[in-house]
Amino acid sequence: MSPLLEMTGVRKRYGGVQALDGAALTAVRGEVHALLGPNGSGKSTLDKTLAGTVVPDSGEIRIDGAAARIGGPRDAHALGVAAVYQQLSIVGDLTVTQNVVLGLEPARRWGFLDHRAARARAAAALDRFAAAFPGGLPLDRPAGSLGPGEQQIVEVAKALARGPRILVLDEATASLHKEQVAVLFDVVRELRASGVLVVFTSHRLDEVFALCDRATVLRNGRTVGTVELAATDEAELVRLMVGDAPRRSGAPAAAARPSPSAGAAATLEVRGLTTERLRDVGFTVRAGEVLGLGGLQGQGQSELLLALFGAARVTAGEALLDGRPLPLTSPAGAARAGVALVPGDRGRQGMFAARPIQENLSLASMHRRARLRLALGAAAERRAARSMVERLGIKIGSLADPVSTLSGGNQQKVVIGKWLLDRPRVVLLDDPTKGVDVAAKEEIYAIVRGLADDGVVVILNSSDNRELTELSDRVLVLFEGAVAEELSAAAITEKRLVAGALRLTPGESP
Amino acid sequence: MSAPSLEAPRRVLAWRPGPVALAGAVAVALVIAGEIVSPGFAGYGQLVNLMRVAAFLGVIAIGQTIVIIAGGGGVDLSVGKVATFAAIIGSRVMAGEDGDLVPAVALALLVSAAIGLVNGLGVTLLRIPPFVMTLGMIGVVQGLILAYTGGRASGQAAPALTSLVNGRVIFDLPGLLFLWLLLGLLAVWLLRRTTFGWNLFAVGANRTAAELTGVRVNRTLILAYVLSATFAGLAGILLLGYTESVFLDLADQYMLPSVAAVVIGGTLLAGGVGGYAGTAVGAIVLTVLSGLLTTLDIGGAGRTVVNGVVLLVLLSLYGRQRRLRS
Ligand SMILES: Nc1ncnc2c1ncn2[C@@H]1O[C@H](COP(=O)(O)OP(=O)(O)OP(=O)(O)O)[C@@H](O)[C@H]1O
Ligand SMILES: [Mg+2]
Repeated sequence: MSPLLEMTGVRKRYGGVQALDGAALTAVRGEVHALLGPNGSGKSTLDKTLAGTVVPDSGEIRIDGAAARIGGPRDAHALGVAAVYQQLSIVGDLTVTQNVVLGLEPARRWGFLDHRAARARAAAALDRFAAAFPGGLPLDRPAGSLGPGEQQIVEVAKALARGPRILVLDEATASLHKEQVAVLFDVVRELRASGVLVVFTSHRLDEVFALCDRATVLRNGRTVGTVELAATDEAELVRLMVGDAPRRSGAPAAAARPSPSAGAAATLEVRGLTTERLRDVGFTVRAGEVLGLGGLQGQGQSELLLALFGAARVTAGEALLDGRPLPLTSPAGAARAGVALVPGDRGRQGMFAARPIQENLSLASMHRRARLRLALGAAAERRAARSMVERLGIKIGSLADPVSTLSGGNQQKVVIGKWLLDRPRVVLLDDPTKGVDVAAKEEIYAIVRGLADDGVVVILNSSDNRELTELSDRVLVLFEGAVAEELSAAAITEKRLVAGALRLTPGESP
Repeated sequence: MSAPSLEAPRRVLAWRPGPVALAGAVAVALVIAGEIVSPGFAGYGQLVNLMRVAAFLGVIAIGQTIVIIAGGGGVDLSVGKVATFAAIIGSRVMAGEDGDLVPAVALALLVSAAIGLVNGLGVTLLRIPPFVMTLGMIGVVQGLILAYTGGRASGQAAPALTSLVNGRVIFDLPGLLFLWLLLGLLAVWLLRRTTFGWNLFAVGANRTAAELTGVRVNRTLILAYVLSATFAGLAGILLLGYTESVFLDLADQYMLPSVAAVVIGGTLLAGGVGGYAGTAVGAIVLTVLSGLLTTLDIGGAGRTVVNGVVLLVLLSLYGRQRRLRS
């Protein structure tokens, strides 16, 4: 079969960063083709050159054998390419339907735009995802009122409404629950059966193996290989992505680990915590323990972490750190008491897009290094930021670049890194490895374990059950804002987690 | 990673002038235009004079820069009125006596800071939009001024203040310019090398994220308004030293130019991006432009139109450069 898509020698440079350095991608009709690689390897940039939002410095794109000139999104659209980007493009104030219709060029009837036809197409596209909206399709609700996963689904529907022959999904599953992922995969499989080429990027390798036929791996902007997934195992794929270079998480990283924080060996005791979305939550985490939060996503896990960080209105209950009450009224108070939160929505809650990487990394801990809590030393701040860049392997041009110029995974590392500099006593993690590559995930896992070993209390919410099983000593399964079940070390398996989450919601199936 | 030898020349090619450089170029172009239409416009004495006028605007605009960087529609419209009030208090307390200079300045700055504190509390605790809060404050301060003076300003600058501001130091430059330089450096340090400055940029860039990073958002905002009013008060005192006696609307006209200087300097009205170096250049651009218009004998409506056009042209240029860079 002749390839539907052939990209060769694609180059793109941003200032001092060579994002693409001769990347190539060849894929055929009716295929789900994974585009893989570490953070900052150029996956999103390659996707964007295909979708017309980035114009490469050089390179060739052929679609169906014919040279394609893609100078903008319109050209891509005309060629049958539709893309879902890593950053959401939803307009919160518009309804779901309006969002899907947005930018669609509706058919014209007697010279007038046919809005009714556009609406029908939107409804049809959304209908394929009906199973992901248990409460019925929210056609006329403002898109901003949907959860992050639902917004992501709307984003995919928007691309589908264009009836593409090539569909690009850039980390479309990063903010989805397991159940939503299943729905998306069903739709992707249908598309494949009807001859559509789907280019799929994800850092969750189990998803890649479950869904994709072949995978092309990028490293430093270059294509290092394309493999048949049926004939490849995970270790081999990881080796292809990471390269034979010595692993970062070797001895130097361990040496860079901060010494146990002052007054280590904390115990966190939570009693009767109640907020708008939490009901009477109580538990104890001992020093050195990693407590996982499981259950269907959206059952109050994020709310619990926010409440412990003083960022949700607590109506009853308390939290004691070593017997002393934690201030639950303000994040600043919580931070001073030694609590750190890596929030779930990095764009909105975690980073300062327009500010330099330096400031993003320094902000949470700079008061420790400042003279008189006011005067900052440029060299000391730079040293602190550099240490994190090295420890987490953050791929950057210069510390002075705005953090918005980083790839998604590298942005996430910055958000985690700013707290590691603060030597916290309680670390709250809300989906911390969202969009982070395999190597860095391992590094972050090592750091989390290291923190626990040093006597830090860690509470982890993750939409990735594999992550929960790997890291947690105990898991609290939450349901509708209350603790429904507690699984201890031996009992934590992915199967148990799924069962625990589902048994509590009779009548619903994944 | 490509060889570093390749990187250097490409980086030079990729360099595009930022707002500060563009505004500086405009200032130079205006001076040259002035020299062409009216020889002598760019003479040393003339330029020193223009810089002196720019200094007052430049000092008032320090606080304006801080408040605008804080974002969330942050702006301080009361700076002109506060500067006037500070000058009025100062002149009455010092009453031409060097001995009372320090208490007079201290009191004037204290009152200014208190006004800023009220602005800050209104904006944070009462959630009054900054535009509304500081506009309302103009009326309040005007009332205070009338109550304090009974409608007639009195008093006089202490000779020490006058010589500090007007006295020639070196190269025949007035002391005022060195004071501006000092305050300007202080502003740059405050924004770029202190925890307050970094917190301020963070609050302006993303308030939710700032909160969730442990930044005391309200405290930062209140401090921003206090600083704004204090720098305005300081500018009022400097103005008093220059004019030696006060009138009831001494510094009122600085309100909008202070915002314009900040914007011309490349600080985003949306907050989170900018700095004081740009504002200082912006103050110079506005002053040179105004001098040029006076030379050309263009007044009233024509002046307003030209000012507006220059602002729009510069802003559209900045927008273009930002797009090209990203
Ligand atoms: N607009 C931009 N300005 C400057 N640099 C950029 C820009 N966009 C991307 N880059 C740089 O290009 C490189 C590749 O980024 P890209 O987003 O394609 O990575 P990615 O493979 O998608 O990574 P991730 O897995 O983290 O999403 C990164 O080093 C990034 O910093
Ligand atoms: Mg990406």
